[in-house]
Amino acid sequence: MDYLLTLGVLISIFVILSTSYNLVIGYGGLSTVAHPIFFAIGAYTAGLLSIHTTIPPPVNVLIGAAAAMVASVLLAASSLRVSGDYLLIASLGFQLGLLQLIKNLDFTGGPGGLGAIPGTFTGPLRAPIYLAIAGGLAILTVLAIRSIVQGPYGRAITAMRDEELAFTALGRNAMSLKIVIFAIGCGFAGIAGGVYAYYFQYISPDQFEVLQSAAILTMVVLGGMGTVYGPVVGAVLLLAIPQAITFLNLPSSVMAPMQGILFTLLVLLFLFLRPAGILGGSAKVRL
Amino acid sequence: MTTVLRIAKLNKRFGGIVVADNIDLTIASGEVLGLIGPNGAGKTSLFNLISGVLRPDSGGIYLNGVSIVGRPLFHRARLGVARTWQHMLLFRSMSVMENLMIAPRIYVGESILRVAFARGAVRAAEAEAHERAESILLRMGLADTLHLMVTDLPFGQQKLIGLARALMNDGPLLLLDEPMAGVEGAAYETMQRVVRQEAEAGRAVCVVEHNVSFIRDLCSRAVFMANGKILQDGSVEELIASAALTELYFGV
Repeated sequence: MDYLLTLGVLISIFVILSTSYNLVIGYGGLSTVAHPIFFAIGAYTAGLLSIHTTIPPPVNVLIGAAAAMVASVLLAASSLRVSGDYLLIASLGFQLGLLQLIKNLDFTGGPGGLGAIPGTFTGPLRAPIYLAIAGGLAILTVLAIRSIVQGPYGRAITAMRDEELAFTALGRNAMSLKIVIFAIGCGFAGIAGGVYAYYFQYISPDQFEVLQSAAILTMVVLGGMGTVYGPVVGAVLLLAIPQAITFLNLPSSVMAPMQGILFTLLVLLFLFLRPAGILGGSAKVRL
Repeated sequence: MTTVLRIAKLNKRFGGIVVADNIDLTIASGEVLGLIGPNGAGKTSLFNLISGVLRPDSGGIYLNGVSIVGRPLFHRARLGVARTWQHMLLFRSMSVMENLMIAPRIYVGESILRVAFARGAVRAAEAEAHERAESILLRMGLADTLHLMVTDLPFGQQKLIGLARALMNDGPLLLLDEPMAGVEGAAYETMQRVVRQEAEAGRAVCVVEHNVSFIRDLCSRAVFMANGKILQDGSVEELIASAALTELYFGV
C-alpha cells in the first residue's frame, strides 16, 4: 500500500514538473534543459532550511520556489538578451555547472546527497497525508497554469509565439513576457523539489541530472505539448505503466530492463499513433 | 498641419550597403505621404528605423517633437507608432478578433500581476478593445469574419486585417508597408477609403507602395528613394512626370 502511495506522490511531483515545463517550452516556446536544476534548487533549499532552521515546512517550500524563480530570472534575463538559442546553451551550462557545485560543496552533502531531512509527519498516516498535499499541489499547479494560458495573458503568449516581431511592434514587451513565463515555470519546479525533499527525506545530485529533463520532456510531448492536460496524462502514463508490471512478480534482474523497454515502447507507440500527443488533437506539431 | 514625424540626418549602413543616407523627412498630421522607389531603395528599412526594428548609425527621429531614437520597438508602438508589414505577420493560430484584441496601444493583459489581481480593470480594458475592434472591422465590411481564423481568410482580407490590427493603436503615426501588394477588387477600395479616413481623422500616414495609381489616388505628397537617399520630395504628379526618376524606377 505504501508503495502505491509513494507512486502517487511521485506522480504528483512529476505532474507539477511536466505541467510547468510545458508552460515554459510548449506555450512560451523557450528552449531550456535546466528544469531539473530548478527542481534541485527547490529541494536543496527546503531540505537545508528544514535541517538548519525551525522555519515551518510550507514556508521552506515557498522559499525554495522563490530561490528557483530568482535563479531563473538571472538566467533568462542574461541569456534572452542575446537570443532565444542562447537560452538553450546557457540553460545547459547552468544545469551542469550548478549540479557540479552541489556535488562539490560540503553543506549540500556533496555527491553522497543530503539526508536526515525532517519528515514532519510520522506514523501510518504519513504517506496518505503527503499524497493529499502533493496531489493538491499538482491540481493547483494545473489550474494555475490553465488560467495563465487562457484569457488575456494566454493570448499574449500565443501571439508572441506566432510572430514575435509583429507582437513586439504592437507595443508588447516580449522580453519581459518570456522572463515571467520562465520564472513561473521554474518556480513551480522549485515547489515540486520542496515536496520531494520533505517526502523522501533524502536528496542526492543524481536525481537532478540533465537527463531528467529528457524524461520530463517525454511526458510533455507524449501527453500533448501546448495542451493544458497533456503533461498530466504523460506523467501518469509514463510513471504508472512501467510500475504496473512489478505486480507480475518477475525477478528484479528481468524487471528493471523490462521497465525501461516498456517506457521506450510506450513512447514509440504513442508517437506513431498520436504525433501531436495524446491530447494534442490533429497532427499539428509545434516544437 | 502639425508635424508628427521628423527625421533628421538619419544614417544606416549594413557593411557596404547604405540603406539610409542622410535622410531628412517630415510627415504632418492629416497627410498621406507616398514612399516610392525601386527594390532595395531602403523604403522598408526606413520603416524599420522609424518603428525601432533597426537602430540607426546616426541621426534623429522625433515623434511630436520628442526624440524616440533610443526607444525600443515595443516602446515606440506605445508612444503611437503603428505599422503594417509587407508579409502581414498575422498571428496564425488566432482568430480575427484575437488578432485585434492583442493590439491596443496599452494592453493590460500582458501584466501577470494585473491579470491576477486587477480583474476588474482587465475586464474593462478587454471590453473596450473588443468594442474598438468591432467598429474597425465594421468599417472594413469584415464584421462577419470576427470569429474566423485569420488563415481561413482570402489574401486580400488578410491584408485588411493587417491594417485593422495596426489601427487598434490609436497613435498619431501610421506606417503602411506595401498594403496593396497582391490586393484586388473590393479590398482595394476598402483600403483606399480607410486610409483616407484615418488621415482625415488627423493621423500622419506614410505608405510604401509600388502601385503608382494607388499612390496617385491617395497621396498628397510623395518621396522618391533610391540607394538609401531621398532623390525627390514633392507632389505625386511631379514625381511621375520626372523623366530621370522614371528611368531609375522603370529602367526605361
